[in-house]
Amino acid sequence: MLNEVLFYILSALILVSALVLISARRPIDAALSFIVTLVSIAALFALQGSSFLFATQIIIYAGAILALILFIIMFLNIQDKNLPDEPHKKRDITFSTLAVLPFTVVLISLINKSPLVDQALPYDLFGGIKDIGSVIFNDYLLVFELISILLLVSLIGAVSLAKEDKDVK
Amino acid sequence: MHELLILTPFILTLLFSLATVPLLVWMERRIAALIQDRYGPNRCHVGGIRLAGIIQSIADMMKLVFKEEVAPSHIKNRFYYLVAPSLIFIASFLTFMVIPYADNLELNGTSYVMQALPTDLGILWFIAFAGLSVYGIIIGGWASHSKYAILGSLRASAQVISYEVSMGLAIVSLLLTYNSIHLNDIVTYQSQTFFGFIPAWGIIMQPLATLIFVITSFAETNRAPFDAAEGESEIVAGYHTEYGAMKFGLFFVAEYIAMAASGALMVTLFFGGYQLPWLTTQDLITHFDILSGVIIGFGLIFMFLFLRWMRRNNSYNEKSKRETKIYAVTIVLFSLSLFSLIAYSIYAGYSDDQKHIGVMLIQFSIFAAKIFTLHFIYIWVRWTFPRFRYDQTQKLGWNILLPLAILNIVITAIVIIGVN
Repeated sequence: MLNEVLFYILSALILVSALVLISARRPIDAALSFIVTLVSIAALFALQGSSFLFATQIIIYAGAILALILFIIMFLNIQDKNLPDEPHKKRDITFSTLAVLPFTVVLISLINKSPLVDQALPYDLFGGIKDIGSVIFNDYLLVFELISILLLVSLIGAVSLAKEDKDVK
Repeated sequence: MHELLILTPFILTLLFSLATVPLLVWMERRIAALIQDRYGPNRCHVGGIRLAGIIQSIADMMKLVFKEEVAPSHIKNRFYYLVAPSLIFIASFLTFMVIPYADNLELNGTSYVMQALPTDLGILWFIAFAGLSVYGIIIGGWASHSKYAILGSLRASAQVISYEVSMGLAIVSLLLTYNSIHLNDIVTYQSQTFFGFIPAWGIIMQPLATLIFVITSFAETNRAPFDAAEGESEIVAGYHTEYGAMKFGLFFVAEYIAMAASGALMVTLFFGGYQLPWLTTQDLITHFDILSGVIIGFGLIFMFLFLRWMRRNNSYNEKSKRETKIYAVTIVLFSLSLFSLIAYSIYAGYSDDQKHIGVMLIQFSIFAAKIFTLHFIYIWVRWTFPRFRYDQTQKLGWNILLPLAILNIVITAIVIIGVN
């Protein structure tokens, strides 16, 4: 009972803050409401007992990525006059929502029909660090390694892009 | 009793975080004075009782609470301006919730966990909320709408983000050693010995990780020598320049709570947590009679030494003689009644539950002693080292600590594979 109430409160919080994220005029409002979205999603994970997902969501998304985005927003020091002029923003958002709505209905019914809905967790409160670690390193080792190579490549790419070109200077 | 035991870790969290803040402020001022060869605040009193100056920091806290709340008129985003100090306060306070204050208490078949949040996340929880505290600084600096504040918050956030990387990597090598992320498991691991006589404390098993972790947690808490974010000689007070009264107070208290939390984590990770070296919890329980005898002996010696020291040194003016007398009577009455209670219990024989609870209390006090030693070191460092210049901070973080941390992970992994 309490879990359901919490679930609806958190979902409402996620939806509202996501709406603010796309409709806010100033970038800093958007970034801060995005933090609320991410932390609420983390809370949803915690509600399911997935403690490891909760921690990574907060450490990586809320703690690191959003902090960098906010840092850059502050660094650029955007004034009101630098923001693009969007006179029909509300109308655009309303109509695009209406356009997407039928697809959403189809998507929800598809998800409800998929076998994943009824699939139970291996046991209650699955999602601690040991469970996730053993699943990753036993069942999905190759995928995991490929993803880490991808991350390494992007890391090296970022460094080589940021490095100053000596010939130009 | 059942409810009380469940509430105990929460009460201890409040004691170690909020209630120690006036004590830490006092320590900071008196140790600064000690290092600079002066007295420090010691004259504020209530009816002649000065408590060595603690009254001053209580008066300070009361001043912060009752001061008029003023907001500068140039603040455009009052919501962000007001929410920032609470954010940093909440995040620092939450980091404290996973610290184990004593071993799990077994009473009548039920096990009580002496952590405020008995989650299996352990150290991940600490990293998560220590990372969130940077938002308070960012938002506060941005909403203050002043150049000093925004410079300070830019410095602080860049520093916290870059030192978090090395801190995380240092923790990875620790987790390889301890084989668990649960803080209570980590403490239990440290009660072992290797080669039969060296306690397996983190500082001995992982000296490099200890060094990196200590440096990065100084930087994470924005304390000297990494406090360029509030460098008063260049940018007034940094990110809290535009804050006053309790809004500033929250920033101020949050800094001390963050310091206390990282001190508690350091105790847990590197200094054996609530354990004494060479003695596991089970040893303490089996030899509890001897232990309480030792406590009485040392307690009496310390009491006499302290009384002698106080009689010689507490001579500020004529009034302080009366003060010394009051202290002496209180100390003697309290410790004698405590010791006679212990002595009577030894004579009457302990029941099993009493032994368990007694060991728990001893472990609380060991933890407190260790954490206050670390606070002393924090303060000592602050008043001894000059502030790093900002580019030096970044250079230390990225060019020295990060490669060292990665090297340490590789070494740890090789050693672990070699040993197994």
